[in-house]
Formats: sequence, C-alpha cells, structure tokens
Amino acid sequence: MIRSEHSIVTYDFVKREVTPDRLMRVRDLVYLEAAQQCIDVYRLGLGRVRQELHGGVEDCLGTIAGCPPRRIAAFCKLLDDAGEFAQPAGKAASFRKRVFELSSPLHPIVEQREGIFEHDMQVARQQIANELKLTWEQIEDRLFDDVIELQKLRQFPDSLSPEVLLARYNLAQTQAALYRASRVRVDVSTQAPFIIRQAKLAGLMHRVTRRGQGYRMVLDGPASTLRETSRYGVGYATILPSLLACSEWSLVAEVLGPQNQSFSLKLSPEDRLSSETAPPPEFDSELERNIAERWQREPVEGWSLERDREFLVQQQDVFTPDFTLQRVDGTKIYIEVVGYWTPEYLQEKQQRLKRFSNNGSDTVRWLLMLDRPPGQAKSALLQSLNLPLVVVSKKNGPQQWIRTALESE
Amino acid sequence: MVQRIRSRIALVDDPRQDCWLCDAMYATQLRRLLSELAVDGANSISCGSVDSSFAIQAKRLPRLREDQLDAVDAFEQGGRRGLVVMPTGTGKTVVALSIVAKAQTSTLVVVPVRDLMYQWHAKILEAFGIDAGLIGDGVHRVSPISITTYDSAAIHMPRIGDRFNLIVFDEVHHLAGPWRADAARMSIAATRLGLTATLPTNTEKLAQLHCLVGETLYQQSIDEASGKTLANYSIRRIAVRMDESETQAYRGYGKTIQQFVSLCREENPTFQWEETYKLVADAKSNPERAMAASAALKAFRAKRKIEEQTRAKFRVLEDLFRLHAGSPVLVFTGSNVMARQISLRFLVPCLLSHCAKRERQDLLEGFGSGRYPVLVANRVLDEGVDLPMVKVAIVIGGMASTRQAIQRLGRVLRRSPSGEAAQLYEIVTDDSNEVKRSRDRRRNTAYQVSKRRPES
Repeated sequence: MIRSEHSIVTYDFVKREVTPDRLMRVRDLVYLEAAQQCIDVYRLGLGRVRQELHGGVEDCLGTIAGCPPRRIAAFCKLLDDAGEFAQPAGKAASFRKRVFELSSPLHPIVEQREGIFEHDMQVARQQIANELKLTWEQIEDRLFDDVIELQKLRQFPDSLSPEVLLARYNLAQTQAALYRASRVRVDVSTQAPFIIRQAKLAGLMHRVTRRGQGYRMVLDGPASTLRETSRYGVGYATILPSLLACSEWSLVAEVLGPQNQSFSLKLSPEDRLSSETAPPPEFDSELERNIAERWQREPVEGWSLERDREFLVQQQDVFTPDFTLQRVDGTKIYIEVVGYWTPEYLQEKQQRLKRFSNNGSDTVRWLLMLDRPPGQAKSALLQSLNLPLVVVSKKNGPQQWIRTALESE
Repeated sequence: MVQRIRSRIALVDDPRQDCWLCDAMYATQLRRLLSELAVDGANSISCGSVDSSFAIQAKRLPRLREDQLDAVDAFEQGGRRGLVVMPTGTGKTVVALSIVAKAQTSTLVVVPVRDLMYQWHAKILEAFGIDAGLIGDGVHRVSPISITTYDSAAIHMPRIGDRFNLIVFDEVHHLAGPWRADAARMSIAATRLGLTATLPTNTEKLAQLHCLVGETLYQQSIDEASGKTLANYSIRRIAVRMDESETQAYRGYGKTIQQFVSLCREENPTFQWEETYKLVADAKSNPERAMAASAALKAFRAKRKIEEQTRAKFRVLEDLFRLHAGSPVLVFTGSNVMARQISLRFLVPCLLSHCAKRERQDLLEGFGSGRYPVLVANRVLDEGVDLPMVKVAIVIGGMASTRQAIQRLGRVLRRSPSGEAAQLYEIVTDDSNEVKRSRDRRRNTAYQVSKRRPES
C-alpha cells in the first residue's frame, strides 16, 4: 500500500464521482517500459542507498510528459516495499555514540587551527579513524546508515515484472482513494463469508442483507453513526485485495473529497484491477470436500445441496452453515461440519450454534456432521446442543443424512 | 426520555446494534442526566473499567509559585475541564502534576512527540514514584497512569478510552483537527486538562478545543512571565553572504523561477507562486505546463537548499562554537539534511527523528551532563523538551512559523539557578528570502520582549 500523500484522484463534481489514478490504457504503454527501467534501477542497485534509488526512479519517470511527482513517489514506495533494505538500527546508534564520544574532547573542530585548544578537522578525523581502525570514508558511510533515506538495498526479487508493478500501482492508488472513504457497500454473489471474515479482521462493522442470489454488505466502523469519518479508510483498503480475488462483486464507497463533500467511488471486475491475494479455498476442510463429492455422486431427488448459501445474522454476529440442503417445498437443513477442533474452539462453536439454532423456524432443521465418532469430551459438548448428528462414513449417504435430520424433533 | 437527553447530548440511533450511541466524551454528562431523570439503576451505570483503587502519593512535588497556584485554582474552580495557557518555561508540567496529585485517579497524559513521553515518564517517577505506562514508540504498556502521543492516542483510544478518569493534553493545540480530535472524543475522562503556550488563532480550531476539552480557564502571556520566571535574553541576527559560485547558481535558479512565473502571468495576471504545486499535480490537462512547473519547483528547492546550506554558515557556526566553547550550545536547523551535515562537519551529535528511544535518552542526558558539547536538532526538540542549562542557541534557516519561534525560544529561556542571560543567534543568508522570513519571525511578541531588553 502507498501513503495517502501519494494518492492521485480525479473528482467529477457533476456526477459526484471520484476516480483513482490508473495506468492501463494504450497511451500508458510508455509506463510499461519505464516500469522495466525502474525495476532495473533496483535490481542493479543492490548496496545503493534509498535516496539514490529514488533519484534513479525519478530519472526514469520524470521524462514522461504528464507524470506527476506523486506518481513517481508512489512507484518508489512500491519498489521499496518489493525490496528489502538493511536496517542496522542498534548498531548505527552505538557507532555514532562511539564517534561522538571520541570527538567530544576535540570540540570545537575547526578548519584551521588558531587557538592552542582547538583541533583541526583533518587531524581530528584521522585521530578518530585510527581509534576506530577504519578509514574516514568508512566512518562517513556508516555514521547515518540507519536513516531511512540512507538505508542500503539488500535484496530485490528477480521475479517482479513491469506488468505486475503496474498492476500493483493501479491497486495501490485505488486503495489510497479508499483511505478517505467513510462507508463502503459491497455486493457479492458468493464468498460473502470470506469477505465478512476479512472485514472483521480489519476491525469493521457490517450490515448484511440478501439481494437476489447474492448478498449486500454495508461496511463501516463503530463511530460512523456519529459522524462522517475516514477513520476506517485503511480497513476498507485492506479488504480490497480479497474482494478482487472473488468472482462476482461490486463496490461503492462514499469518499470524503474537497470541503468534506461526499463523492462515490465505484468498482467492479470491469475495472480490471488484479490482486496477488489467492481466492478463498473452495473447501475449508477435507470433510467438506468429501460431503460435496458424495452428494455429487448420490444426489437425492427433490433436494439441492449448496455451500455457504445461508447467512444468519444477529447484529454483528454472523453464522454461515457450511452447507444448506433445501427441498423444493422450502424445507431447509443447515449442516455444520465439526472437523478439526480444540476444546475452546468447540465450546465457542457450541455457544454460537445454540444461539442461532434456537432462532430457527419450523421449516429449518440442523445437522452436525463429523468425520469420526466423537470422544468423551466432544460428545458431552455436542450432546448439550440437542442437535442430530451424523458421522460421515462409507455406510451412510445423503439419503441417511436427510433422514437423520428430519427424524429428529 | 431519550428526547430530553438528546436536547443536551448528541445521541444517535444506531440500527446496526439496535441502540443509542454517543461519543465517549459525554459519558459523565450522560450519567448525570440519567440520574437527574431518575432512571432506575442510573447510579449503577457501568462506565468503562476505570481503576480507582489506587492512590497517588506526592513524593517530590515542587512547591508551586503563585501564578502556578492560580492556574491550579482556576482549573479546580472552573469545573475541572478546560485549558490552561502559560508560556513555555513557566512550569506547565508542574501545574499538571499537582492537578494529577489532587485528582487521585487513573490518568492519561497525551504529548506531541516521543521525547516528551519519556520526559513525562521521568517526571512522574520523580514526583509520585510511579513507573507510568507508555503507549507509542513501539511500546504498548497500559497502566493506571500512562503517557502516549497524539497519534497513538487517536489510534488506540477506542480500546483504552474507558480506562482513564483524567486526561491531560500537553501542547493541546495539536488536538484540533478531524483525526486527532478522536483522542478526546473517544475518552470517557471526566476531568480534562489542556496545556499550551499558544492558543490557536483560528476561531474554529479554538471552538473545537473548547468543545473537546473545555473553556479557557487560565491565561498568562509571555510578557507577564518574562523577568519573573524566564531568563533575560537577547537575540543576535547574523547575516552571511553566499560565495561566488553559490550566488551564480542561486541567480540561475531564480531566473528559471522568474521565467516560469512571468509565463504563467501572461495567461493569468493574478497567478501566484503557490499555484505552481497545483500545476505540477495537474499533469493530465496540461502536461507541458506541468513539466515546466515541475522544473520551476525543482529550481525553487535547489535555491532553498543553497540558502539553507550556504558554506558561510558553517564558518559562522565554527566561530560561534569557538566563542562559546565550554558552555552547552543548542543548534536548530530547518532540515534533517542540514542537521546531519553540521553533525558530520563538527562531529557533534544530532537528534533527529530516526533516533530511537535509547539514543535520544543518551543524547539528551549526555548533553545535559556536558558529555556532548553541542546538540544539533531539527523539529524534534521543538516543544517542551527541558534543557535549562542551555544558555546559547543558534537557529539556522527554519520556517517563518510563529509557533515554532516561540517554542524554540522557550527552550533557551527556562530559568536556570544561576540566572544568567541567554543568547540566541539566528544565522540567515543575506540577499535571500531567509532575511524576509527572519523579519516575519521577529514580528512576534516573543521577539518584542527582547526589544525592550536590549543587550547589555
């Protein structure tokens, strides 16, 4: 991610829309070449200090007509982030301490000695260099090598291509525009639980509603009801890469623009942004995969099985049954897979199950599925839930799962 | 009932959690309102996890001077929510410490920079024998008495805002603004103290401080304080000249800028130099003009650099170091680069933002004890860092900002036991904009005091 002071956006005051800077049109092809040059500056610049590398990037991009300084600064930040700089924090400080303690009795160090108590620069430098068993050049080189702009590049990945760099730039500028967002609305067709999880990790709050086949999520933060605040902007920005990894989605953000006016930022796959975040795994566990495959082989007529279909919401708490079995008449069976577990995990899950399963209606049944018979501790916890339970094995199939769920009352 | 509360406090309906919501800063008021309205259980409203089971014992609290006592009284009389305005060097910290001692409750002190965090830590340890918690600079140790910076406070307040009954904002003018204001809004502290030497002149910002902290309860101007509590001081401005090559380069850059400006004025007679930044950024609609603007800006920076780093300044510095050899000298620069150059040239330490906690402490302690003869700093030392033994300060370059000048002066002006006069030097480049900036600085009251106290 880049800093907010590198952000470049265009405001459309008529449509009240904001568009982040993007380099992906034909006329931006010149940046592909420049990006390669910038990468070369870093690749060939191992051992050079940060400010020199930034100077090199400025040389590559500064000659392109219409390239603003912020864009150059943003590229510098992205390239810095791709590489790795030496950070001799503690060492540099103790080195300085040593040098200044040696020089302190020599103060004032003058260019040419006049008084008898003064020390001339050349002699003083020599004296300190001898004491430290280094040359003066080495001392000068090391004295401030922890200062950010004087840190030396240690590593840079061979794999970074100019296309990837431009993609990162486009993503980073969009994220930076979101730093100023006060609220975000996300529509997804599937993978809603994945996005909710990311939003929770980013400390956001959500309101989820069903919308056609998918879900609509309004994301903001605790103080958002009190005032328009961009306090949670970084949170929205951090979930964007995960959103890009989903298949069908759209996002509308309310962004605070000049004079605190609200502008909207609209995003969808049509923007052709890409992220290097992996899409969510299709299944969370082997057991889930087994269940889905088993259903594929032996489907039950009149029923359908869908993964992460339902979305049960109680204020800020969301529960997604791993599978939903639905009969044509609307009867539903929520299936919760209890696979890997620890006592704390299971206890928490039991609490949540209790809360959500009590809220059900007549047409909803619950079913717990396990990969092996539960041990004593697990069994005790599960029994208190009073929900039907199936241990998946070769002997029982979908027919039996449904029967177990329906027979329980 | 809700309507009656809403007439006093900004309550908002929050459908996400099906409840009413207001900023944490209204907690005390809300509790009072609820009990006034005789709501059942209003007395048992739980409000955060404030730890009130401990006592603060004043071990070594300095005796207050009369004006300091006045300040404490004004705060206590004024409802224990408000601003106390006293010039730098008049012992604001001592006033705050005695208010903390009186309050006997969990306390959070919010300061502008990390150095001050450690300084407050040391003072609290001395005054109360308490090892205060620190939040910021990579440390997150929350305890009933803690110190944090404004930025850390704004970030962490949602989690720690319910743990302190008293909140002290040191250099409170930093609190105004949409983001940092959260540090005050998200705290339930009933007692709120804001300290500053200079209230914001912007009325909107001042109103915000009054809302977030409280009304101005005590105010003392620098005129009242000087002589009584501050040392006498004098200011010497030394103008240096650029050498031949510098002058040439300087004029060359000046020409680039002039040409650019006159080009812009042809199109737009009211064009101002400040608009150049906009032109640079607006590369989309006029790329050529943006390139020219960018070049002009580069020339402007190069010009500034020559101005700031004129070789002659190093010669004057050398002479001043000679002149004051044996007494501690503090040097302020306008940039990190200049600070490092001076550090490298004279082999004296510089305190910059990259210095971590341990190094800062070593530098300040070493400078205080005379282990280091000189300390070079940029803005890191700007506010409130105590160095009472410094009687010589040199300002190189720097901004025309009023506040900065006052704060910088304040540092040198702290009264030392010996009562000797302080000397402030200002080194500027002649024939350049620096002279103008220096003149701007002098218009401030802080400098006018010196006019009345000419060098003896």
